[in-house]
Amino acid sequence: MEQVLRIRNLCKKYPGFQLQDVSFAVEKGMIMGFIGRNGAGKTTTLKSVMKLVHPDSGEISFFGLEPGEKEQEIKRRIGYAAGGISYYHRKKTEEIVRVTKTFYPGWDETACRHYMEKFSLEPGKRLRELSEGMKVKFNLMLALSHGAEFLILDEPTSGLDPVSREELLEIFLDLAASGVSILFSTHITSDLDKCADAITYIQKGQILASERTGAFLERYRLAAVPGELTSAQRELALGVRRCKEGRTALILKEQEELFRGLRGNGSDSSVPRGIQVMPADLEAVMVHLEGGVDQHEAIG
Amino acid sequence: MRQLVKKEFTLAAAPLTYVFLAFALMTMIPGYPILMCGFFICLGILYTFQFSREYNDVLYTALLPVRKRDVVRARYIFVVCVQLAGVLLCGLLTLLRMTALGEASAYRTNPLMNANPAFLGYLLAMMALFNILFLGGFYKTAYYYGKPFILFCAAAFVVVGLGETLHHFPGMEWLNAVEGDGVFRQSVVLLGGAVLFAAGTLLSLKRSEQRFEKLDL
Repeated sequence: MEQVLRIRNLCKKYPGFQLQDVSFAVEKGMIMGFIGRNGAGKTTTLKSVMKLVHPDSGEISFFGLEPGEKEQEIKRRIGYAAGGISYYHRKKTEEIVRVTKTFYPGWDETACRHYMEKFSLEPGKRLRELSEGMKVKFNLMLALSHGAEFLILDEPTSGLDPVSREELLEIFLDLAASGVSILFSTHITSDLDKCADAITYIQKGQILASERTGAFLERYRLAAVPGELTSAQRELALGVRRCKEGRTALILKEQEELFRGLRGNGSDSSVPRGIQVMPADLEAVMVHLEGGVDQHEAIG
Repeated sequence: MRQLVKKEFTLAAAPLTYVFLAFALMTMIPGYPILMCGFFICLGILYTFQFSREYNDVLYTALLPVRKRDVVRARYIFVVCVQLAGVLLCGLLTLLRMTALGEASAYRTNPLMNANPAFLGYLLAMMALFNILFLGGFYKTAYYYGKPFILFCAAAFVVVGLGETLHHFPGMEWLNAVEGDGVFRQSVVLLGGAVLFAAGTLLSLKRSEQRFEKLDL
C-alpha cells in the first residue's frame, strides 16, 4: 500500500518534555486518528511533520519521496489546519482566497467554488464572523482547492458542538472516499470511532500503538467489577477506573479468563463477584491506560 | 517572492502603517524636531507586526509552499518600501521647504533642525536602526516585538538628540544650512545615512533569515 507519510524515530527534546522515537506511517486513502491526552506530544509531532518545529533527529518523508526532497512540491500536495487557529480574522474569506491561490499553480477554481458552496461559506464574510466549525471548513476548503492529497489536521474538532463535529467527520469520510488521506489529532475518541481506519496513540511523547482501529481495540477487554479489585487483579489490569457500581479495569483479551478466575482471600465481603467483561471502545482504552493502576486501593 | 510581497501589502499590512506615512507631513512643522516623523513612520510599521501576530501571519506564511527565508525577505521588502515611501515624502517636502518656501520667515528663524539633506540622512539612519534593532530583534523569536521596539525607541531618540544638538556646536552650523556650501557638505550625511540604511538592512536581513530557519514556530 502506498504511504503518504512515513515518520521514523522522530525525537525532540524540550525542558520537561520529549518526543521519543516517534514512528508511524499513513497509507493512501486512510483516515488516521492521532490520539493522546493533552500534552502527550500530538501537536509537536504534527508541527515537526510540517517543518514548523525542528526535530532533534528522525526522518519524515511524504509520498515515498526522500526526506527533505522537493519540499515546496510536497507542501502543495498537503494541507494543514489546526482547530482554534484562524488566519487574518478581520479579512473577508474572498480576500484570503484571492491571495492564497496565487501560491498554488494547481489551484482549482471549480473545486474552490464547489467547496465554498458545500461548506456554506460566504465570500463576503470576515473570518471572525465564522463559527469555529466554519473556520475549520474554510481551511479545509483552501487545502482541497489546491488539490491537497493529504490533510494534516491538528485537533480540528476541538471546541465544536456535537452537530458540527458530526458534520466535519462526515466530510472526512467523503474526502477519504475520494482518495484523500487524513491524519487528524484529537483527544475526543468518539470522533475516531466514527471515521478512523487506523489510530496512532501517543503517550508522554512515545508511540504506544499505531495500527488499524479494529486490531487495536481487539487487544483489549473492559471488565466491570462490582466493588474493589483484588491486588492480583490490579496487577493484571492495565488501568483501573472508578464507576458507580465499583471498578472498571482494562485488561488484555488473552488474560480475560485469568482475570475472571482471580479471587481475594475470601474473608472480605467486597471480593468481586459477577465480573462482566466486554469489548473496549477507544475512550475506555484511553482513559484506563492514561489513568494507570493504584495498587494501594486493592483488597485481598 | 512576488506573491509573498503582495501578500504582505494586502493581507498582513495594518492600515495604520499606511496612515502613519502621513507623519511625513511633520517635515513642514516649523520649530519642531522634525526627525520625529521618522520615529512615527516606524511606529506605523510596528502596527503591522502587531496585526501579524494577531492574524497568525507567520504560521500562515510558513505553511505556504515557499522557502522559509523568503518569508523573512518579503517582510523586509515590505518594511523597506514603507520606509522609502516615507523618506520620499519627506524628501519632496524638504525640497518644498528649501525652494518655494525658502524665504518663509517661520523656516528662516527656525532654532531647531531644518529640512535639508542632513535631515534626510539622519532619517535614513533612524530607519536603518529600526531594521537592525527592531526587525533583527523580532526575528529572534518571530513573536515578541516589545523589547526590540524599546531598543529602537532609545536609539531613535539618540539620533533625534544628535540631530538637534550637533548643528549648535561651533563649526557644525553647516549641518542646519538650507542654502549655499553647507547644503553641498550635507550630501555626505545623506550618503552616510543611505549607506547605513542599505548595509544595516542587508546585514539584518541575512541574520534574520538564518534565525528564522532555525526557529520552532
